[in-house]
Order: sequence, then structure tokens, then C-alpha cells
Amino acid sequence: MSVVIRNAQRAVAVRRAPLRRAVGALRAALGADRFDVALVCAGNGTMRRLNAAYRRRDEPTDVLSFPFHQVAAGQLPRPRFRDEYNLGDIFLGVEYIGEQCRRSGEDFGGVLAVTAAHGLCHLLGYQHNTKSEWQQMYQKEKEILEELNRVTGANLRPLTADLF
Amino acid sequence: MLLARALRAAAALRPPPPRRLLSAAAPFPRALLPPPAAAAAPALARSLWQLGGGGWRTALLRPRRDSAGGVSCGCGGLHTEGDKAFAEFLTDEIKEEKKIQKHKALPKISGGWELEVHGTEAKLVQKIAGEKITVTFNINNSIPPSLEEEEETQGEQKPDEQEPDITSTPNFVVEVIKDDTKQTLVLDCHYPEDEVGQEGEDESDIFTIREVSFQPTGESDWKETNYTLNTDSLDWALYDHLMDFLADRGVDNTFADELIELSTALEHQEYIKFLEDLKSFVKCQ
Repeated sequence: MSVVIRNAQRAVAVRRAPLRRAVGALRAALGADRFDVALVCAGNGTMRRLNAAYRRRDEPTDVLSFPFHQVAAGQLPRPRFRDEYNLGDIFLGVEYIGEQCRRSGEDFGGVLAVTAAHGLCHLLGYQHNTKSEWQQMYQKEKEILEELNRVTGANLRPLTADLF
Repeated sequence: MLLARALRAAAALRPPPPRRLLSAAAPFPRALLPPPAAAAAPALARSLWQLGGGGWRTALLRPRRDSAGGVSCGCGGLHTEGDKAFAEFLTDEIKEEKKIQKHKALPKISGGWELEVHGTEAKLVQKIAGEKITVTFNINNSIPPSLEEEEETQGEQKPDEQEPDITSTPNFVVEVIKDDTKQTLVLDCHYPEDEVGQEGEDESDIFTIREVSFQPTGESDWKETNYTLNTDSLDWALYDHLMDFLADRGVDNTFADELIELSTALEHQEYIKFLEDLKSFVKCQ
């Protein structure tokens, strides 16, 4: 099924094809490749607006996920209709991520893939509000990134590595 | 022009252009009706029709037969009081438009783009390592209709309300010519018209590719028999590669933004020139 990418900002140059390949591999590693997913590459203004509206945090951030289904962590949705084969939308704060990469010297494309992995896990019910939730999410992110590393030869680690 | 057909076809898809918001401080001839106090603020010409029936309207619309032949400059044309009022109006309008003109010279596009302008058509050219990339657009019919619809739904404009900026978002055609081939890759690009100024703007691509085809390099005629790829039903992975292909050649979101600025400046420049030509024509200079 489809991975739809929209680049709605002009602050950072985003390579679409590598991002698509990474998201496709991560989605397959989650066993969810029958589901559509949309990624919006957004600037700080959009991320700040969404973060304020949905999380009451008036600041830009790196990723926001909007699941189509409410599922328990690790469970796949059970769609009844064709239109429900949809994981939801991920807003990638590419401007925010780009600024962080410039400061840390990390590879922008790699961090984008790691952030997308985090967003995909959120779409499938994973959370990191408690230590046990985080451990579960960390393991899943690690697992799917290892699969991506195997395919691409990269060495990517989960976004939430040092959260607790 | 190889791309003339593509540009014409693209322009034909758009609905009729909105009428420009006239920003004259005095939207009607002073001699016929003194402007009301509120006229000091920018006003829409359209608001004239909302003022209700007054004697001035009749006077404006009815030709003054007795004076029609009374004034002549020897050109053989008609010179009426209406023409005089029209010319006065245009003088004020040109003055106001020049006052709000943001760019006296056309803004430059970042990178190595060279600009050629032929009337309402502009062409940007760049050469990168054995390739020539041209981007062509026409500013005619390039102002999205949503602007006017918004105006109409807002009802009466408050006297201190700023007029929204007019933005020109033309379709543009990218041609990629490789030195060693006889084929030109032509990509027809659009700004997402229906979402200009709408809420979904934050989630949309800044521009999209609508059609892709090969055309013979250097030939003026468009080959209708060449296959044209429509992106409506295209595989998303192929679409992303096409967007990356354009970005590698300097056509990315930043470029698309700067093209809007250039097109808006050119459109405004041509509009002022048109008003000046119209004034000269009316005055028979």
C-alpha cells in the first residue's frame, strides 16, 4: 500500500526517495505493509502550531503522529473496509531536525529515518509515558531499525535511547 | 515556442482571472462627486456599487452626447467627459499602484539562473554540467481565484483593513536538455491552486508535477503523438524520484517560493504598464 510524502516547507532540502525507502522498510518490519501511511515534512511554524493544538506545548518539535486507529502497543489494526487500511499521518519536523543535526553533526537522512521509525511506532500504539511503556517502544524501534540497518548498511539507533 | 502550447493549455485550465482590487484613494472622478471622508483609506472599486443609487452613478454611465464631438485632438476619435474622468481615474490608480509596488526591478532567483522576459512570459535558464535547464511561465491568469472569493464572502471591508497581497502563482514548465540527446524532458508544474490560502496549506507540497513528456529538442511544434505521463495516477515512488530529479537541478521548494516573488513582481509591473497604456489610449496621446 501507499506511502505518501508531502514536503510542505522550504527551510530544509528533503530527499524524498531515500525517505520513502526507509519508511517502506520500517513499515514492512512492523508487519504493516498492507496499510497506507502519510508523511508530511513540516517547518517549525507548522510543528509549533500542531504541538500547541494537540499537546499544549507551544514550541516546535521533531515528530507528531496522528493514528487512524487506536490500538494497544504491538497490535495491528483490524480494518473492516478498504479505506481503513490506514495507519495515519506522521508530521516530521524537518526544520527542527535539521537544526539539531547541524548542531550535533549527525547525518540528516539517518536522523530522519530514526524519527520516522519513532512516529510509526506511535501510530501502532506504542507510547513512552512510563518506563515500562518506553522499554516496550524502545525494543520495537530497535528491532525495526536493525532491519533497516540490515537492508541499507546503516547503523541507526532508536530516538528514545536515553529517555529513562 | 516549444512550450507555448503547454503554457496555453495550462492557462486554459484556470477559471477566469479575478478582477484586480483597485487601490486608488479616490475611486471616482473628483469633479463628479467629492470623495466621502472614508475614501482616504484604501477602498475597493467594487464598493462603489454597494453605495446605493446616487445621482453620480447616472451621470457617470450616461454618455454626454453634446460634448462628444466638442473636444478633438485631431485623431478622429471620440473624446467624452467620460474619457476625461477615466483618464483621471487611471492617473490616480497608477500613482497608487506605484506606491505599493514592492520591487522597482525584478527580484533575482537564487543560484545561477538567468532571466529573459518577453512581455508576460518569463524564462529562467541555467546550465549545469552538460545539461541546460529552462523554466518558463506566463503571468497572464496567474492570480488564484480564491482571493476574490474570500473577498466576497467577507462582506463589507472595514476602512482600516489592509487589502490582502495579490500573489501570482503561475504554472511553470521545466525543460531539461542533455547535450548528447535529441530529446527534451518536459515537466509541467503547478502550485496547488485549490489550497492557496486554505487551511490545508501546511500539509501540501509547495508545488506539484502534473505532466511529464519528451519533446524533440529545438522544435517549435508540440508533438501530440508523444506519450504524456499524467501524475494523477502515478506510482508515488516514481513521483518522488521526479521531485528529487528536479531538486538536483535547482527546482525545489525554495526555487518555487522565489518564482512566486518574481512572478508577482512581473505581474504587477505589467499591470502598471497596462494601466499606463490604457491611459494613453483613452487620452489619445
